[in-house]
Amino acid sequence: MATINIENVTKSFGEVEVIPSLDLQVADGEFVVLVGPSGCGKTTTLRMIAGLETATSGTVSIGSRDVTHLRPGLRNCAMVFQSYALFPHMTVGENITYGMKVRGEDKQKAHAAMKEASRILNLDDYLDRKPAELSGGQRQRVAIGRALVRDPDVFLFDEPLSNLDAKLRIEMRTEIKQLHRRLKSTIVYVTHDQVEAMTMADRVVVMQGGVIEQAADPITLYERPRNLFVASFIGAPSMNMLAGQVAMEDGQPVFVSNNGFRVPAPAHLATAAGEAMVLGIRPEHTGEDSSLGPCIKATVIEMEPLGPHTLLIGKVGDEKFTAQMPASNKSQPDDVVDVYLDRSKLHFFRASDGLALRESA
Amino acid sequence: MSVRDLKGGKRYWVLSACLVWLVFTLFPLYWVAITSLKSPVDVVGGPTYIPFVDFQPTLKAWKDLFSGARGGFFSTFWASTIVGLSASVIATLVGSMAAYALVRFPFKVRLASGIIFFIVAMGGYLLGSEVFGVNPAMASIVAFCVALALSIFLNRFALPGAVLGNDDIIFWFVSQRLFPPIVVAFALFLLYTEMGKLGFKMTDTYFGLTLAYVAFSLPIVVWLMRDFIAILPVDVEEAALVENVPSWRIFFGIVLPMARPGLIATFVITLAFVWNEFLFALFLTNSKWQTLPILVAGQNSQRGDEWWAISAAALVAIIPMVIIAGLLGRLMRSGLTIGAVK
Ligand SMILES: Nc1ncnc2c1ncn2[C@@H]1O[C@H](COP(=O)(O)OP(=O)(O)O)[C@@H](O)[C@H]1O
Ligand SMILES: [Mg+2]
Repeated sequence: MATINIENVTKSFGEVEVIPSLDLQVADGEFVVLVGPSGCGKTTTLRMIAGLETATSGTVSIGSRDVTHLRPGLRNCAMVFQSYALFPHMTVGENITYGMKVRGEDKQKAHAAMKEASRILNLDDYLDRKPAELSGGQRQRVAIGRALVRDPDVFLFDEPLSNLDAKLRIEMRTEIKQLHRRLKSTIVYVTHDQVEAMTMADRVVVMQGGVIEQAADPITLYERPRNLFVASFIGAPSMNMLAGQVAMEDGQPVFVSNNGFRVPAPAHLATAAGEAMVLGIRPEHTGEDSSLGPCIKATVIEMEPLGPHTLLIGKVGDEKFTAQMPASNKSQPDDVVDVYLDRSKLHFFRASDGLALRESA
Repeated sequence: MSVRDLKGGKRYWVLSACLVWLVFTLFPLYWVAITSLKSPVDVVGGPTYIPFVDFQPTLKAWKDLFSGARGGFFSTFWASTIVGLSASVIATLVGSMAAYALVRFPFKVRLASGIIFFIVAMGGYLLGSEVFGVNPAMASIVAFCVALALSIFLNRFALPGAVLGNDDIIFWFVSQRLFPPIVVAFALFLLYTEMGKLGFKMTDTYFGLTLAYVAFSLPIVVWLMRDFIAILPVDVEEAALVENVPSWRIFFGIVLPMARPGLIATFVITLAFVWNEFLFALFLTNSKWQTLPILVAGQNSQRGDEWWAISAAALVAIIPMVIIAGLLGRLMRSGLTIGAVK
């Protein structure tokens, strides 16, 4: 097991700069998830750790070794590919032990490692099958098994669950998490699915356009997003954003929405008086309980009953707004409904740079 | 639209059209087969079609063939088999390596260094043979090696002019098959004779003929295998790279097995080319390593048009290819199912 240290790394493909500059430290035994929209450079980052791409500049270290220019085979990483990348002409057993066989490791040892991996991953009954005869979930487990037997310094996963159906994905999520708890290994895991990121990670790294927007544990990311992008990317349904500006009334800062409603703002926003601002509030922090905080009026477009609660899909002025109402709420489309915002859960983002303004900051 | 969608009468029309085509393609084979069983009288005395009805079949042509009364049949068959198999195996293997390299690694060849190669090779040869009076073969070999080394060395520098990429290299490979083979055959014959004078006997040897066929087949092999390799998922090779599998093992242990259907198809096509090749064999062999096409053609010239003998020899030349294509075709189809795993 080992730490990973990415310092000042940039990556360009020809003229195209994919990663402007990246710094990321992964602690020993940490489960880090890289998440971000498609094309933001997650896979490229992972491949630079694995050695399948070489950084254009900067250094990549694993443990105390500088591996920037080392070829993949010598980095002692195990990688699980999105496509699983199993060897199609080999059986499951051969797939798992192929690497050990090539490295000339002891046959008995390889067999024992394979047995252990197949027991952990429930593959005992399939060892003699070819990958083509397996289901998606089984192939996925073979790919993980192939990584397991290596006892690598670092595990790298590139969207390993994206080809599975929803139910299986949730099961495999748990399995990989348990695996991590048991092995206490360093894992870098790439996904575009923020739910997967939140549920699995010790620390989530949110990326956009090759830049890290925020790296933090899931709860911090949810409660204290650093900027507009992170706020809207994390959480489902996503955070409501209402544009407006900060004004001063009786010495107190007030958020005045472009749609005309007013929300008392926290005292530290006094310094931002007159600036254009975006108010963020998550649907789950809204409701019909008047004790929550300020009230706004939303026009219902559609009601989505989910069982425990009902989502009100609507508009505030001409801005989209989603509120989470109790299941008992029976509003109809075109009704204008009072929605109360939890005053302790309001986020304010400066419109000019998208940064969140918080008391401590 | 598929034939399966057709109804009633239309179906029968399609079926009968297919049958007509079948008869059309099978008839020559049938004709060769019965002709090989005819006696000379039955051949020259007007057409006869059905054995035992039209004419009395005889095995004379076959007996003549196998007894070697018309040229060494067994040695010819042997020569064709071993030259065909070894040339196809070597060409498929070497060509696959070239194709793999051309698919996976970008190459840059500067046009200027190509031109320098041409000038040095030609100029060196002319200089050596015409001015210094060196033996032509020696002159061309030396000039070639010097030119190759020089152009590879110069290719590292930023020479002016166009830079050629992988597609250009592929085109260059294939273009070797665009001009008439007689040009190559004649040049090869000269080269081999000159090498013979130096003490390397190339004409009418196993080595010489096989080498010529390997060179002759490579363009097609590279061209075919490039497409078969390009469709392989690169992830699988990367997975092996991460596992620290050396490149040669990735090629032989992973790439070749995954490309098996393509390899077999390419092998069969190459074998068919070499097996049927006439011109090179005519130029480069005279007795010991003569191949079947030469033998078949020879039946004609030696004692007039002895169609029964030609037919027997032709059948012998056809049958092994039919069997091999059938066997390997089956292998190929079973291989297709293991292709890429998604
Ligand atoms: N080999 C390559 N050549 C050129 N561009 C590439 C290559 N690999 C990735 N890119 C580009 O780099 C960007 C980031 O890609 P990637 O890391 O795969 O994104 P992600 O995994 O986050 O979806 C994309 O815009 C992609 O088009
Ligand atoms: Mg990706």
